[in-house]
Amino acid sequence: MTLDALTCDPVSALVAWQLIAPAAALATIGLPALVGRSLSERATTRVVAFAFSSCFVAALAVLVALATSSFATRVVHLGTLFAVGHHTASIDLVADGLSIPYVCFSTGLCSLVNAFAGKYLHREPGFTRFFILLALFGTGMNLMVLAGSIDVLFAGWEFLGISSALLIGFFHERRNAVDAALRAFVTYRICDVGLFGASVVIHRATGTGDFASLFSGDWPHATCLVTGPTAVAITLLFAFAALGKSAQVPFSGWLPRAMEGPTPSSAIFYGALSIHAGAYVLLRCESLLDAAPLTAWLLVAVGIGTALHASIVGSVQTDLKSMLAYSSMTQAGIILAEIGFGFRLLPLVHVVSHAILRSLQILRSPSAMHDRHELAAALGGHPGPSSWSLVRLLPPGLSRHLYHLALERGFEETVVSRFVVRPLLTALVTADGIERRWIAALGGRTGVGGRHDHDGGMP
Amino acid sequence: MIVASSTCVAAVATCVVAPLVGAAVLRLTERRLDPRLVAIAAIGTSLVAALTAATWWHLGAGVPILLGHRLAGGDLVHVDGLTSLLLPYVAVVDLAIVLVAPRRAFASAGVRRLLVGAAVTFATLATSHPAALTVLWAASIVATTSTIRSTVGGRTTARIYGRMMAVAIVCMAVGTALLVADPPWVAGSGATGAAGGWLVALAVMIRKGLIPFHSWYPALFSGASLATALVVTMPQVATYTAARLLVGHADGVPHELVVLANAALLTAAYGAALAVVQRDVRGLVGMLAMSQSAMVFAGLSGTVPTELCGALAVWVSSGLALTGIGLVAWALESRGGAISIETLQGRFADAPALAGFFLLFGLAALGFPGTLSFVADDLIIAGSLDDHVHAGVLVILTTVFAAIAVMRGWFRVFGGPVTVDAPRHSILPRERIAFTALLAILFGLGLWPGPFVHSLERVAESLLASRHHPATTAPLGEHP
Repeated sequence: MTLDALTCDPVSALVAWQLIAPAAALATIGLPALVGRSLSERATTRVVAFAFSSCFVAALAVLVALATSSFATRVVHLGTLFAVGHHTASIDLVADGLSIPYVCFSTGLCSLVNAFAGKYLHREPGFTRFFILLALFGTGMNLMVLAGSIDVLFAGWEFLGISSALLIGFFHERRNAVDAALRAFVTYRICDVGLFGASVVIHRATGTGDFASLFSGDWPHATCLVTGPTAVAITLLFAFAALGKSAQVPFSGWLPRAMEGPTPSSAIFYGALSIHAGAYVLLRCESLLDAAPLTAWLLVAVGIGTALHASIVGSVQTDLKSMLAYSSMTQAGIILAEIGFGFRLLPLVHVVSHAILRSLQILRSPSAMHDRHELAAALGGHPGPSSWSLVRLLPPGLSRHLYHLALERGFEETVVSRFVVRPLLTALVTADGIERRWIAALGGRTGVGGRHDHDGGMP
Repeated sequence: MIVASSTCVAAVATCVVAPLVGAAVLRLTERRLDPRLVAIAAIGTSLVAALTAATWWHLGAGVPILLGHRLAGGDLVHVDGLTSLLLPYVAVVDLAIVLVAPRRAFASAGVRRLLVGAAVTFATLATSHPAALTVLWAASIVATTSTIRSTVGGRTTARIYGRMMAVAIVCMAVGTALLVADPPWVAGSGATGAAGGWLVALAVMIRKGLIPFHSWYPALFSGASLATALVVTMPQVATYTAARLLVGHADGVPHELVVLANAALLTAAYGAALAVVQRDVRGLVGMLAMSQSAMVFAGLSGTVPTELCGALAVWVSSGLALTGIGLVAWALESRGGAISIETLQGRFADAPALAGFFLLFGLAALGFPGTLSFVADDLIIAGSLDDHVHAGVLVILTTVFAAIAVMRGWFRVFGGPVTVDAPRHSILPRERIAFTALLAILFGLGLWPGPFVHSLERVAESLLASRHHPATTAPLGEHP
C-alpha cells in the first residue's frame, strides 16, 4: 500500500490525516498496553486529544476548501491494499458536502468526550482500555464517513460495532453490562449481513466496490447509475444493516441496555454518532433511494413505527439513561422516515442537532440527578410532576392498555425471542445434544473424555 | 536455477530433519538439557529452513521442484508454492505451542513426540507421492492415537479418533492403490480409477472432519490435550493431501471435488453455528477449528484464483488465530482448571493480559479489519460468489456465526463478577513473546497484505495450472 494522497495536494493530505491521526493514537496507546506498559492517564488523554482535535481542525480546513469549490466531490486515493485478478481492494476516501461536515461534527464531538472522559474516568481500572476503544471508534467513524467504496465503509462499520460492544461491556464485572454487550454485538452482527450482502450485490453488479460506479455527481444531487432492481436490492440490504445500528424495530432491544456502559461512551455511541451510522449510510446512497421507492416507503414505515414505539415505551422508563435511550431511538426513527420521504439536508441537520443535544443530556445526566436530589432536599420533598402530558387526554381504558404495552416494551422482545431466537437456539442446542450422544456412542461410553486436561500434556 | 532448486530442497530437508535431531538429542541427553530449549532450537531451525525454502521458491521461476520416485502424478519430494507457504506456517504454530506449553506438561517424552510429529508433518507437506502420503498419514495417526491414549482420561477419545482414522487410512491406502493402477485423469480410465477417486475423497472427508464424519473433531478437543488437538488439526494435512491427489487432478475427479466442496461448505456453516452453543472453551475452539478448516477446503475446491487465494489466506489466518485462542485457553486452564462458558466466569481481573490476547486473537479470527482474516474473508467471499452464489451465502453465514461464537466465548470467560482484587496469574514472558509474535503476523499481514496476497496468487495459479496439466513438471535441475 502506498500513501499516494500524502504526495498530492494539501486537501488530500488533510483528508488522509482523518485516518492517520486516530489510527496513530490507537497504536500509540494500544501497543504499550499490549506489552504491559500502559501510558499514564495524562499522556493517554493528550495523545487522543491531539488526534481528534487535529482531525477537527483539518476537517474544518477541508470544509473551507470544499466550500470555495461549491462542494464538488473529491476522491482521495490512499492506496491499494491488494489485488487478485479483477478483485482489487483499494482505500478511496470521498470528501464532499456530506462527509466533511459529518467528520467535523464527529471529530469535534470525540474531542469533547475525550476531555470529559479524562476527568470522569480518572483512576478507573479500565482507563486505558476506554481510550483505546475511543481511538478505535474514532478511526472507524472517520473510515465509515469518508469511505469511497463499500469495502472501506464495511471496515469502518466493523470498527464501530466492536468498539461499541466492548464499551457497553466496559464494566465487565457487572452481569448486566456483559449481557447487554453480547446482545448488542449479536444484533450488530446479524444486521451486518445486510452490509455483507450489499457488498456482494455491488461487486456483482458493477465489478467493483467503488461508490463512483453506483452514482455520479455531487451530494445531494447525485444520479443513480444502476438499474432499478439492483438499486432496490442494495438499498434494502443497506436498510437492514441500518436497522440494527440505529436500533429500529425489531432490533431495538439492545439500545436501552447499552446504557450499562460508562456515561461518556453512552453519549458518543448511543446519543450521537453510532446510532446515526445507519442514517449516514442511507444518506450516502441517497440517489439509489430515489430509484428504489419500495425501500423508501419501508424506511418511512419502520422509522415512524419505531418513533411511536420508542416514545410510548420511553414515557414509562424509571431511570434517566433509559429515557434518553428511548428518546434517541425516537429521533433516529424520525430521521430514517425523513430519509424515506426524500429529504436530504433536513435529516443531516436533524442528525447533527439531535446528536449534540443528546450528548449534552447524557453527559449531564449524572450531575442532573445530583441536582434533582439537592432540589428535593431543599424543597423538603419531591418537586412533583413538572409537565402536562398528552396521555391524559386519552380515555382511561386506552391509556391503561398503552401503559401495559409500554411496560412490556411493546412486546417487541417477546415476539423476537419467541419466534426467532428461541427456535434457533433450541435447534442448535438439540443438534449439539445429538452430537454429544453420537460421540458418546462412538466412544462406547456415556460421556466423552470425561476430563479436561488442565495441565495439558504434550502430544 | 540448479543452485536455487538445490538450496530449496536442502532447506526443506533441514526443516524435516531438525526436529528429528532435536528428538534424538533429547533421547540421548535425558534430563541433562532443558526440553523446552531443545524443542525451541529444533523448531526454530525448521522455521528458518522453511522460510529459506519459501524465499528461494518465490525468488525462482515459480516452477515446482520435483525429486525422487514418481508415481501417479506425484513425486517423492514436491516443493512448490503450497509447500513454501505451509512449512513456515506449521513451524510457527509448533513454535508457539512449544513456547506456551506449561512447565508441568513439558516432560521429555512428550516433547520428543511433538518433535517427531512435527517432522512427519513437515515431510507430508513436502511430498505428493501417493504411497509416501499414505505411509506418513499412517505414521501420524498411529502416533496421535497413542499420544491421546497415554493422556489421563483420554482413552475414550483415543478410541473414537483411532476408529475413525483407521477407516480413513484403509480408504486412503486402497484408494491410492486404485488411483495408481488406473489414474482417472488419464484418457480411457475405467471404474477402478473412479472408485479410487471416491475412496481417497472419503478418506479426506474423514481425516478432515467433514460432515458426516466430523465427530472426532469435538471429541479430540474435549478429551485430548490442547497441544495435541492443535498439532493434529492446524496443519490440515487432509486438505494438503486433497490438494495434491484430487484438486491437482481436478479434471479426472470433478464429481468427487463437488461432493467434497459442498460437504465442506455445510461443515463450515454447521460448525460455526454449533460453536455458538458450546459449553466450554475447548468445545468452542474445536467447533471453530472444524468450521474454519472446512472453509479452507471449500475455497480450495474452487476454480477462481480469488477463491483459492482466499482459501490459502484463511488456512494461515484462521490457523494462527485459533492457535492463539487455543493457547490462551491452555494458559488459562493451566492456571485455574477447565473453563466453562455456560455462565460468566469473571476471569478478567485475574488474568487481564490473557483477556486482551484472547480478544485480539478472537478479532483476528472473525475477520476484523486490519487483520489477515479480513483480507481472507474478502477474497474467499468474492471468489466463492464468482463461483457459486450459494457458496458465498454459506460463507457469509459462517463468518456471522463464528464472530458471535468468539465474542460470546470472550464475554463468558472474562466477564462477570470478579473473584479476586488484583491479577493473580500474570502472563509469563515466553507466553507474551509467543502471543505477540502471532499477533504481529496476523495484524502485519492484515495491514500490509499486498506482498503476501501476491505470493498467494502465484500459489493459486500454480494449483490451477496443475489441474489441467498434471504432467508439466520437471525433475530437479532441469528447469529452464
